[in-house]
Amino acid sequence: MVKTVNREQLLMELYKSAFPTVAKYVAKMGGTLDDAKDVFQDALVIYYEKAVIGNLVADDSKAYLLGIAKHMWFKKFKEQGNTIPLDDSLEQADEAEQHIANNKVLQFLATAGKRCMELLSAFYYHKLPMKDAAEQFGYAGERSVTVQKYKCLEKVRDTVKEKSLTYADFIE
Amino acid sequence: MRTSLNNIKETDDHVLGLAAPQDDLLFEARMILNPELRLDVAWHRQTLNLVQQYGRKQLRAEIQAVHNQLFTQPQHQSFRQNILRFFKR
Repeated sequence: MVKTVNREQLLMELYKSAFPTVAKYVAKMGGTLDDAKDVFQDALVIYYEKAVIGNLVADDSKAYLLGIAKHMWFKKFKEQGNTIPLDDSLEQADEAEQHIANNKVLQFLATAGKRCMELLSAFYYHKLPMKDAAEQFGYAGERSVTVQKYKCLEKVRDTVKEKSLTYADFIE
Repeated sequence: MRTSLNNIKETDDHVLGLAAPQDDLLFEARMILNPELRLDVAWHRQTLNLVQQYGRKQLRAEIQAVHNQLFTQPQHQSFRQNILRFFKR
């Protein structure tokens, strides 16, 4: 939905418009600037993930972000003293994320397969339309970028398979 | 596209629920008959999971970069002061 360049602008706008209200709220509730930052950034991730799949009912982004941030604040407040990172409470957080082998594979892909991971996350996470993806990654058209997408999927899947098996052996 | 890429596309469509009902039925029948295809589907899901995690990490880094800009660059000084005011007591 959002191209990389536009994304930075969007995030900046949302930060400038909604963070002050969230910070004010968290301060009032006795939190620190770091608390405010944490809940707001979690709220932004949730907001963004809902926005890209077209799953936002409210068009008032500021009110929506404040609503999620308040919710996150209560969760954080309740969990204080525990060592569970807030990230785990994200709706779409995947429990596999904590798996050491998984993180190792991800680390490997972030370096060895960076270009493919960028392309695939543009499609599957940021939900960029084919046309925009072709433009952003320098492909002649939708067809060539589609072929590249499947080539990348094949390559990354092979790596995931190979590395997961290797790391699993290593850990167990 | 070459055959292996078409297979990837079919698996992808199945995992994402994008396949037409009759194609999906056929795909599921093939999965029953072919253990290797079942494994492929599992690895495919795992791959999309990792892509999702990668994307989220990237987004978090971008959000943090925006935060750093707002809290260091001179042109955002009044924004910064406005925020810091809330935490003074």
